[in-house]
Amino acid sequence: MIEFDLPFILQCAKFLLAFVPLCFIPILIWGERRGASLIQDRLGPNRANIPLLGGLRLFGLVQNAPDGIKLFTKESFIPKHAHKFWYIVAPMIPLCIAFLTPSVIPWFAPMAVEGAKGIANVSGQILDADAGVLVLFALSGLSVYGVVLGAWASNSKYALMGGMRASAMMISYEVSMGLSVAGIFLIVGSFSLTNIVEWQAAHVWGIVAQPLGFVMFLTSLFAETGRAPFDVAEGDSEIVAGYFLEYSAIRFGLYYMGEYAHIAIASALVSTVFLGGYHMPWLGTEVIRANLGLVGGGLLAAIALLCIWIAYASNRWSNIYAKMNATDAAQRKLEYRVMTGLFSGLAVLLLVAGSALALFVHPQQVSVGGTEIWPLWVNLGTAAIQLGIVVAKTLFICWVFIWVRWTLPRFRYDQVMGLGWKILLNIALVNLLVTAVVAKLVKG
Amino acid sequence: MARIVPRTEMTLVEKAYIPEIARGLKVTMGHFLKGFFKPESIPVKHYPEVEPFVPRDYRSRHRLMKRPDGEPRCVACFMCATACPANCMTIEATSSDDDRIEKKPSKFEIDQLVCVFCGLCVEACPVDAIRMDTKKMAFAADKRETFKVGLEDLMDWDPKDYPESDIQSQKAPGGTLNAQARKEWGLQ
Ligand code: SF4
Ligand code: SF4
Repeated sequence: MIEFDLPFILQCAKFLLAFVPLCFIPILIWGERRGASLIQDRLGPNRANIPLLGGLRLFGLVQNAPDGIKLFTKESFIPKHAHKFWYIVAPMIPLCIAFLTPSVIPWFAPMAVEGAKGIANVSGQILDADAGVLVLFALSGLSVYGVVLGAWASNSKYALMGGMRASAMMISYEVSMGLSVAGIFLIVGSFSLTNIVEWQAAHVWGIVAQPLGFVMFLTSLFAETGRAPFDVAEGDSEIVAGYFLEYSAIRFGLYYMGEYAHIAIASALVSTVFLGGYHMPWLGTEVIRANLGLVGGGLLAAIALLCIWIAYASNRWSNIYAKMNATDAAQRKLEYRVMTGLFSGLAVLLLVAGSALALFVHPQQVSVGGTEIWPLWVNLGTAAIQLGIVVAKTLFICWVFIWVRWTLPRFRYDQVMGLGWKILLNIALVNLLVTAVVAKLVKG
Repeated sequence: MARIVPRTEMTLVEKAYIPEIARGLKVTMGHFLKGFFKPESIPVKHYPEVEPFVPRDYRSRHRLMKRPDGEPRCVACFMCATACPANCMTIEATSSDDDRIEKKPSKFEIDQLVCVFCGLCVEACPVDAIRMDTKKMAFAADKRETFKVGLEDLMDWDPKDYPESDIQSQKAPGGTLNAQARKEWGLQ
């Protein structure tokens, strides 16, 4: 019998969190393009605009819209020689998995709320399973099926070769990936990601406890998401395009989006296991709850500072651009004016809201059946702040993905295999052994 | 004779790979931050909104020079068409109205999709009638026919766009030296 009480509603509301990686996709595509161009001393796509107030370009973010429209409206071509059913199904797999994997990531600390049967604990994961991270590994390992199936169904030798490479790499790196985080599991003694974060909050972040594990895990993740320097599944010079060679329009788009969603999930996992997840030093869950007004106000002030910087940068650039004798000078001036105004206004608004929060919000615990718990709004506010922390950390790791991609030259296929089996695996094993011995000695 | 180029051995630090990765990451991050905080330091032109600098002697789109009365200077001698390595010029001659001059072109067409912009036509012309100094370097159109420019297109230029020191251009109608040139030519 399902009770439609508060914990149940919260549990249902948590399903919305499955869309978090999806929201990362446009930001990641934008970040990749403009990040890559800045690294290469270019400007990147910055012309697409909303034809309003001189053409709002939002720093190039608008570019995603025409790209999406193009992918959606293009002819979705199915080659004659392809196996139709699997050809259509395959690209959906990676994106479906991107909806499933966020279910075990803790987006906020567990909260105690009053339910029909007394106080219930609502955890920050959608799926509060003990298997935790194993579910995530299993699911994200499945996404290679999309690649291999698509390659196989395309019935093209280049696509097939790309798919084979992807699966070979997946198998090789899955091993060292599992082994490199095993150290953390040994220390924490649990597979549940919430427990892992709680342990990190109580002791040190995973990156301090397992620095080698962190580096190896990140490397394996690069390989698993098929990103440079391990992007052997794609290779313009060797296998034309790789596994998605025969795909066009939105089916290709699905692969593309699946790849970015995979990166978002992988980054969320790294930030949870090694960077403390929703925990920040000196900002434990209880600290945030007790000083919700102060912490929230501080956060809003930080965002306001960012807005002020954006407004300043827009204004500065508009002055520089005005000196360039451009044909669209008037339009751009208007646009930058709007941007500057918008962000300064936002900053003022945020500062006012932040100070109001800091001054007037002082949460008190309430007593429910003899137990002191925080009221719901405090819990929800804390959850929002912690979600922000996780997202910020995830964005940082995503940036590392982009940064590494545009720095390192890609490996040759045999080098990838050699690195995976001969180096990473061995280091991971030694790391695991040493961790096991130390953990045994310390914990007794 | 074979020359053996000795390979430099990698040092231990370089072989360890990780420090070198860190070095590479530092370089790319440097470029990123520089571009992020100082976009004006990025060596790009905001083309096409901002015109790039094109020197006057850049071999750009052709123009046909004009006499003080606005007639083409060209005497339809076919030197340019003969010199043209791409065979993209089509000239047809007719007799000139001016009795001092024998011929003038009735059709002068350059197919700019075929032209290789070598400038040989300019070199070949005995009367300095064709030049490639319009600074127009961007060609875009949605029909092939548009790229075939004729007499009118080629003579559609304004002396104001050319420097004062370019005497031949200033003698054309609208130029600063036009009145003087017309007098010399015995027009009015
Ligand atoms: S520039 Fe060269 S190719 Fe073009 S018309 Fe003149 S001679 Fe021919
Ligand atoms: S442009 Fe010069 S070379 Fe060509 S036909 Fe005319 S006068 Fe002769």
